[in-house]
Amino acid sequence: MNYFVKGNPDLCIGCRTCMIGCVVAHEGKHIFEVDPDSYTFNPRLHMVKTAKISVPVQCKHCENPACMAACPAGAIQMKDHAVIIDTSKCMGCKSCMDACPFGAIDMVTEAGKFQADGKERVVANKCDLCSGIPGGPACVRVCPTAALTLVKEDELADAMEKKRMEAARNLFRDNQE
Amino acid sequence: MGIPEIEDAGCLLCFGYNGADSHPIVARRIVRGKQKGMKIICVDPRVTETARISDMHLQLKGGSNLALVNAMANVIWNEGLADIKFIEEHTNGFDEFLKVIEKYTPEYAETISHVPAEEIRKAARLYATTKPAMILYGMGVCQFTQAVDVVKGLANLALMTGNFGGPSMGIGPVRGQNNVQGACDMGALPNCYPGYQSVTDPEIRAKFEKAWGVPLSDKVGCAITHVPHRVLEEKDETKRIHAYYIFGEDPAQSDPDLAEIRETLDKCDFVVMQDIYMNKTGLHADVILPSTAWGEHDGVYTCADRGFQRIRKVIEPDPGLKTDWQIIQEISTAMGYPMHYENTEEIWNEMIDLCPSFKGATYEKMEKYGSVQWPCRDKSMEDKGTPYLHKGGKFATKDNRGVFYATDWHPPMELENDEYPMSLSTVREVGHYSVRTMTGNCRTLRNLEDEPGWVQMNTQDCERMGLVKGELVKILSKRGYCITRCLPTDRVKPGATYMTYQWWIGACNELTNAKLDPISNTPEYKYCACRVEKIKDQEWAENHVKELYDEIRTQMGITAGKGDH
Repeated sequence: MNYFVKGNPDLCIGCRTCMIGCVVAHEGKHIFEVDPDSYTFNPRLHMVKTAKISVPVQCKHCENPACMAACPAGAIQMKDHAVIIDTSKCMGCKSCMDACPFGAIDMVTEAGKFQADGKERVVANKCDLCSGIPGGPACVRVCPTAALTLVKEDELADAMEKKRMEAARNLFRDNQE
Repeated sequence: MGIPEIEDAGCLLCFGYNGADSHPIVARRIVRGKQKGMKIICVDPRVTETARISDMHLQLKGGSNLALVNAMANVIWNEGLADIKFIEEHTNGFDEFLKVIEKYTPEYAETISHVPAEEIRKAARLYATTKPAMILYGMGVCQFTQAVDVVKGLANLALMTGNFGGPSMGIGPVRGQNNVQGACDMGALPNCYPGYQSVTDPEIRAKFEKAWGVPLSDKVGCAITHVPHRVLEEKDETKRIHAYYIFGEDPAQSDPDLAEIRETLDKCDFVVMQDIYMNKTGLHADVILPSTAWGEHDGVYTCADRGFQRIRKVIEPDPGLKTDWQIIQEISTAMGYPMHYENTEEIWNEMIDLCPSFKGATYEKMEKYGSVQWPCRDKSMEDKGTPYLHKGGKFATKDNRGVFYATDWHPPMELENDEYPMSLSTVREVGHYSVRTMTGNCRTLRNLEDEPGWVQMNTQDCERMGLVKGELVKILSKRGYCITRCLPTDRVKPGATYMTYQWWIGACNELTNAKLDPISNTPEYKYCACRVEKIKDQEWAENHVKELYDEIRTQMGITAGKGDH
């Protein structure tokens, strides 16, 4: 099963440290280079603030990803419990962005790479659960209020167990009180 | 009380304090408190992150603080929720206080604050009946012309409910800047030497004169917010300011009514700016002295909870750079008063020996205990400082009794009118700290938010004016204008606008009002009248903003990252 990162709006303070952590994790030491062309700021999750909710939104790593089905270039694959875009294969057609019901994919420019018209290369960008980065998802690691969790099978099973217990209690609340 | 105690309060009254944007690390304590079952009453005109998780959010109209505070006191008294034993044993002035708050019924306060009377009652009950109850307040209290009165009003609430002198209670100012508490502790105030010792007290003055071997002035100095007047309008030549030495401060960005500040800096004969990067003030300076940043020098900071903490050098500064204390030492020596210190500990030791309430806070103790909260009067290791200032209901007055102080509410100095129908309040955003002299030079943070910033407006106002998210707008007051982006949000009420003050182009302090609180001399950053105008030609506006940004960067000699915005 694929994993995903879940945000808790009761803990989130909207500070966007997760977005910075994401960029730092994916750009590595490029962030310290003075040359602006060596670096792009492409966070793979986005803070959303409504009147009553603050929480980052990112890819849910669906089991039957609409983005993967829509990609004509075969650039989207499942690997290491995550849905991952191989940007080298991406043709920038935006089909995945269009298909994703969560707005988790955006189109970004890649630093130092150019396309046919001489402009910076545009590719699809989304959460890869920090695939290949030691320590796992950076957003989870840097959040000051521990509002983000990486959800794996165990966490899901525990959560479902708790929910079923709660449901059972609720069913018979009147008898208990 | 200390910051870590916040999460153990039974009830938190969070008044005009937006921790998530100002101090995320303090906000973490509030979030954790909520998880532990702490009740939260948030008083703020905006839906802040704290408001979002609070049990009660009193979304008051800006500028009505004291009416609401007095009404809460009114309810606590009239519903018999006051701690009469504490009031009788530990306080003075309660009867006079009652006379003032009598008229502040919740119904009367509703007409001023727009908070329903029943909500005010519920909040007062929750605060008075949940122990221990803690109050945190921030710039939403302090940056009004009626600021000190509201601080005292909040202290009245804590006094009348006996919430002083123990863990997770009392009233906590969460200060606007890092180490602003330390600056005050060290006497960077016009009226006192380090340790809050008055410059007008002859005995104190004699002590410092003896220690330093020079005669010292017996007059209170000039508040930073009085400088423009003393440069531009002072008729008495002996009182006029001719030279202005500014360090670690960017008044040309952070002070109200920037047009007046620029005139002040330009008309002042000699301006020295000492900072870690170029800033707006530097553009008007005669001399620029580059200094070191945190991480490049040693020192002591005071936390909001009165705790002295060591800060340590992590990296060597570039050759040729000097720390602030070394620069001050050399300037002083050059001006005829030789100073010789080897390190910050020598300076610290001289200072604590002159300040009875800091005397015991040695480097050794800070090293061992991490933080030493003043007063700490004895150098023996047993005196670990004072976590609770008013332990046992003993206050720092002659008879050790707390004093009730009440006054009537008055509106802000400049209200909405036909020409300027909306209100403007300056606020903070997490990511950019203060005037962003530091964070503006961090590329990732600049990528997150950059010029010309945002004006937060209610979605209904935006719809009415035909404004969409990201559109450039012109915002004006009697004093000036700037261009910024529109951010429609339901977190603010109709008629009110909010801007952060760190942008060079979207500089909201072009608009703010320089009227001051009479005691603290803090300007009314939280309220002035403004008008938002739609800009028809967005393409022109975008180019204009880019040109302005390039112009400022060129003036400042910034070449790195050109075209990177």
